[in-house]
Amino acid sequence: MKRLASLVVVFTLMPASAAWATELDELLEQSREAAYTAEQIISCSTPDGVRYAIVKIAQSNGEIRMTSTVAGDVQVSSGDGGWTLSRQGGVISSALVDSEMEPVEPLYVVEDTGNTNFLGRDAMVHQLIRDGVLRAELVFDDETGALVAATTFTANGDTYCERRFVSFDSADPGLESNDLHETDELQPSSEFETLLPESVAGFDRLDLYEDEVGFRFAYYSDGFFSFAVFETPTTVDLPDAKTVQFGEGAYQRSFTAGQATYVWETRSGGMALLGDLPPDLHEAVLATLPPSRDPGILRRIWRSLFG
Amino acid sequence: MTHPSELISAYLDGELIGDETSKLLSHLATCGRCSADLEELQSVRTAVRSLPVLELPPGLVPEADAFVVPIHRNRGVWVGAAAAAVALIIAIASIVTPPPASISVDDLTSRFGARASLDPAFSPAKVVVPVLGELSE
Repeated sequence: MKRLASLVVVFTLMPASAAWATELDELLEQSREAAYTAEQIISCSTPDGVRYAIVKIAQSNGEIRMTSTVAGDVQVSSGDGGWTLSRQGGVISSALVDSEMEPVEPLYVVEDTGNTNFLGRDAMVHQLIRDGVLRAELVFDDETGALVAATTFTANGDTYCERRFVSFDSADPGLESNDLHETDELQPSSEFETLLPESVAGFDRLDLYEDEVGFRFAYYSDGFFSFAVFETPTTVDLPDAKTVQFGEGAYQRSFTAGQATYVWETRSGGMALLGDLPPDLHEAVLATLPPSRDPGILRRIWRSLFG
Repeated sequence: MTHPSELISAYLDGELIGDETSKLLSHLATCGRCSADLEELQSVRTAVRSLPVLELPPGLVPEADAFVVPIHRNRGVWVGAAAAAVALIIAIASIVTPPPASISVDDLTSRFGARASLDPAFSPAKVVVPVLGELSE
């Protein structure tokens, strides 16, 4: 009885946030370890219209391959710090990064909302709530732990992005580790001064990277949503972008299925933000970053003459 | 008042008259763009004025003097014309020179995607599909 009382005291004293983090981390880690093939529909209602994609997914050994069934044989290979976009066997872009893997302070409450049946299989639904606002609903396959559906929401309850498997096969596709990484590995560093703040509207800067040509970027996360902010010496080309105004700054914006991209000019060069955070958070995040400013006539002339 | 770039230049040259100075200063107090332009112009002037003055080697001076052709008239015109020519060259160069190579979004996406794949929250809901259905040949 005395031992039971001790356990109760220990459990009561355990910070609730740690329990939330453990539950979300465990769910996502279990999903990451699942092996399967599936077909997924992504549909996002963005301020600039609906963006959708249909992709075939294969996952095993921590590696994910996504192949577009819309654009032919475009394939994304991602996992273990590597990312490659290829087409017809040729690599379009790739990157390999190393991380310090700093933990993120838990911000989300995970609520189990019951069992469901998804694609004829038993599944469990969980909701992620931050600051009292429902931000995501995740459906995990009971048998494999795979994340088979994910819906993200804006603060007013509107759906932002919905990802749903429309077919699922739990057979292991037996993926090998991606061997297309022929690029140098970026190592996190804090050996340079940066304009990128340590915290942005509730998102923590987890690590910073700098490459040999002056690219710098920081990775931010709140434990579920994440984005990267790039500090570049030149401008960033964003095709088919829409110009939007936040405060006194003008930004170029583009949405694809699941990702928002902003680019803007600063006094010292260009900046870009890429991430999956819902649109209602964009203005608050951008307001905390170095502002969009006209570089001035002298700098324009200098850049056009000397790059 | 719109953005009075010509008044900023005149202000730095001490050429404003009447109430132009007070009007400009009150505009600068509320206009970030013009304040930044003023700051930039000031920094350029300071940088130019801080350039070291080089002295000619002693032996060169007599020979150089031999080539000096005294100009007694229209000196200001020639200096002005030379300055205008330099300004014109810079302006033309800024127009005809292609803009500096910009960075591809695909390249940035690949770095973001690589880092995201290390995220504990990495899942099919995290994999970035940047140009799906829009990739041109």
